[in-house]
Amino acid sequence: MMKIIAKERLPEVLQLLAKDYNVLVPAKFEGVSRFTPYSADVELALEENVLMPPKDIFFPQTEKMYKFKAKDKSLEIEELPVEKEEQLIFGIRSCDLKSLECLDQVFLTKGYVDHFYKDKRDRTALIALSCLQPQEACFCGSMGVDPQNGVGADIQAYDLKDKIGFKAISAKGQEILEKISGLLAEEEVTIPTFGEFNLKADIEGVPEKLQGMFDHPLWADICRKCLNCGACTYVCPTCHCFDIDSEVRGEDGVKIRCWDTCMFGEYTQMAGGHNPRPTKKERVRNRFMHKLRYFPERYKMLLCTGCGRCVVKCPVNLDITAIIKKIKEAE
Amino acid sequence: MKEITLQMQELARELLQKGEVNVVLGWEKGTFWYLSPPAFVDKPEDVERLVYDDYCHHNLSKYLMDYRYQEGKVAVFLKGCDSRAFNILLEDNQLEREKYVLIGIPCPGMKDQEKAKEFGVNGDIPLAKKCQECKYPNPLVYDYFLGDKKAADEAAATKEAKAKEYSDVEQMEKMTSDEKYDFWSSQYERCIRCYACRNVCPACNCRECIFDQSRTGWIGKANNASENQFFALTRAMHVAGRCIECGECERACPMHIPIMLLNKKLIKDINELFGEYDAGVKVDGVLPLGHFDKNDPEEFM
Ligand code: SF4
Ligand code: SF4
Ligand code: SF4
Ligand code: SF4
Ligand code: SF4
Repeated sequence: MMKIIAKERLPEVLQLLAKDYNVLVPAKFEGVSRFTPYSADVELALEENVLMPPKDIFFPQTEKMYKFKAKDKSLEIEELPVEKEEQLIFGIRSCDLKSLECLDQVFLTKGYVDHFYKDKRDRTALIALSCLQPQEACFCGSMGVDPQNGVGADIQAYDLKDKIGFKAISAKGQEILEKISGLLAEEEVTIPTFGEFNLKADIEGVPEKLQGMFDHPLWADICRKCLNCGACTYVCPTCHCFDIDSEVRGEDGVKIRCWDTCMFGEYTQMAGGHNPRPTKKERVRNRFMHKLRYFPERYKMLLCTGCGRCVVKCPVNLDITAIIKKIKEAE
Repeated sequence: MKEITLQMQELARELLQKGEVNVVLGWEKGTFWYLSPPAFVDKPEDVERLVYDDYCHHNLSKYLMDYRYQEGKVAVFLKGCDSRAFNILLEDNQLEREKYVLIGIPCPGMKDQEKAKEFGVNGDIPLAKKCQECKYPNPLVYDYFLGDKKAADEAAATKEAKAKEYSDVEQMEKMTSDEKYDFWSSQYERCIRCYACRNVCPACNCRECIFDQSRTGWIGKANNASENQFFALTRAMHVAGRCIECGECERACPMHIPIMLLNKKLIKDINELFGEYDAGVKVDGVLPLGHFDKNDPEEFM
C-alpha cells in the first residue's frame, strides 16, 4: 500500500507544505528550468529533470561570507546574519541526490566542515521524485544510480503517470508525510517500468586505467574542439570549484565566494603570470581526470552522476560518454 | 549535401596525403542526429568522419587562432558566415592568410537544433533564425569551392538583394526605457557567466579579454544584476562593427539569452549612423568603428 494523490492535486500538497517550509519546486521560465520557490502561479515542470541542478541551493554561484572594515591598521570582521528558514525541495531526481552525496564528501568530510554548506544542507528536507523515462542524454544507470529510487532523500515520491505516490524514508520524512496525510489516499500501486537508456557508459576499470594516462596522446586530440567555457561545469550538479574574492568600497568590504571552473585559463593563473595548465589540453584533461580518477581515488565515488546536462549543453558536443569510450579503447 | 560530403572527404584526403596540410577542420556526426560538432582530421584514413549536413552550425574559423603559432598549414571548410568570420580575423590581424587552405562550401542554411530535438527526426524542421536572415550564404573567400558555383551564386544573389530583417529589433525599439531595462535585466539575470558566447565568437579575439582580468576591478567575479549587465553591454559593444552575425553566441548560450537581438540592434545602429555595412564581407581596413573618417557623425560633441 502506498499513500497517493492525483497529479493535478499535487499543488494542494505543496501549498500545505509551504506553510512550514520554503518549498522549492521544478519550474521553467524562458526555456530554463530550475528549482523555484513555490507559489500558486508557478507552473510545475515534472516531465524531465531541471536544467539547473540543485547545487546552487546549497552552494550558490555567489555567496557572501562575511563583511569587514579595514581602517589604517585595524580590521573588524562582521558575521552576516544566518538564514533560519526551513526549506524543502520537491522533485529532486536520483542523479541529483547522488550529486549531493558528492558535495557532502567535499564540504563535510576529511576533517573540515564548510558551515555555509552544512547550514543549508541541515535545514533542507528532500522529497525525491522517480523518473518515468530517461531523457535523451541521461546515462545515470551506467553510473550506479537507480532512477526510480534515490539515495539520501527524506521521502521518495513515485511518478505513477496520473498519480504521485509517497514513501517516507527518514524520520523527518515520516513527519512531513504526516502533515500532508489528510490529502492522501491509500492504494495498492505498481511502479511503472523504466524505459531503456539511449546513452550508456561503460565505466568499469576507467579510474584505474586513467592512472597511467596522464601523458596519453588522447588528451591532445579530444581537447581540440573544446571552447574552454564554463557551460559544462556550471550546469554540472557535482562540480564544486570556487574562488574567494572581496568587493571593497572604501573602508568597507565583503568577502564573497563564487563558482569557478577548471575550464577557465584564469583558474590556474599564478601571481607572476605562470600558468601550469596553459592550454586546452591540460584543462580538458583535468576535468575528466578529476571526475573519473582523482575524485574516486579520494572519496571512492565518481564525480559524475550521469545526469547528462553537460552532454546537452556543451556547445561543441564534447560528450563525457564518448570520452569514457575513448579512454576504454585507448592503447 | 551527400554529394558535397563526398567531395569534402576526397579533397581532405588529397590535401592530407600530399602533405599540403597537417590537419583539416570540418564537421562530423555527434551524439544525437541533430548535432554535427567540429572535427579535426589529421590522417587520410580518417576523412570519412567528415560530413556536411543540416546541422553544421559551428563556425570553424575561430579555431584557426589555435594554430597561429604552429608549423605547417591548416585546411578549413567555410560556409558563408564562416568566411566572413575568417575575414574579420584577417582584418583584426589575427591570422596570416597564407597559412590556411580555405575550402568554401555554399550553404543552404542550417536547421534549428532546438526545434529538431522537439519535432523529432521526421518533423518539419525550420532553418535556424540566423540562417533565415542570412544575406551571404556563399563563401566570400576561398581557395577551393565545392559544389555548383553558378547555382550557388544565383541562390545567393536573391538573398543579398533582400532588405535586412530587423522586425525583432524594431519591436524592441518600441519599448520604453523602463521596459527595455526590465526586459534585458530579466534576460541577463539568468546568465551564469560561462562565457561560452565569448569563447565561440570570432570577433572576440583579444589576447586578454577584459572579463579575464578580475584583478583590475573592471568586472567582479560575483554573479549579480550589476556585474551581469556590465558583462552583457561590454560584450555587445566590443563586437560592434565586427559581429558577422553567425549566431554562434546565441546558439552556444546554455541559458537561452537572446544575444543576437543585442547584436542586431548594434548592427542596425551602425548601418544608420555610418552607412550600409556588413562586417567581414570585404577586407579593406575600412571599419565603421575602427577607422577614422572626418565625415563621421559626431552630434554628441
Ligand atoms: S559530468 Fe555531466 S553527466 Fe556527469 S554529473 Fe556533471 S553534468 Fe552530469
Ligand atoms: S571538474 Fe573542474 S570545475 Fe569540476 S570540480 Fe573538478 S576541477 Fe572543479
Ligand atoms: S567541454 Fe564543452 S561546455 Fe565544457 S568547456 Fe569545453 S566547450 Fe565548454
Ligand atoms: S557576436 Fe555572436 S553572431 Fe556576432 S560574430 Fe560573435 S558569435 Fe557570431
Ligand atoms: S553564454 Fe549565455 S550564460 Fe554564458 S556568459 Fe554568455 S550570455 Fe551568459
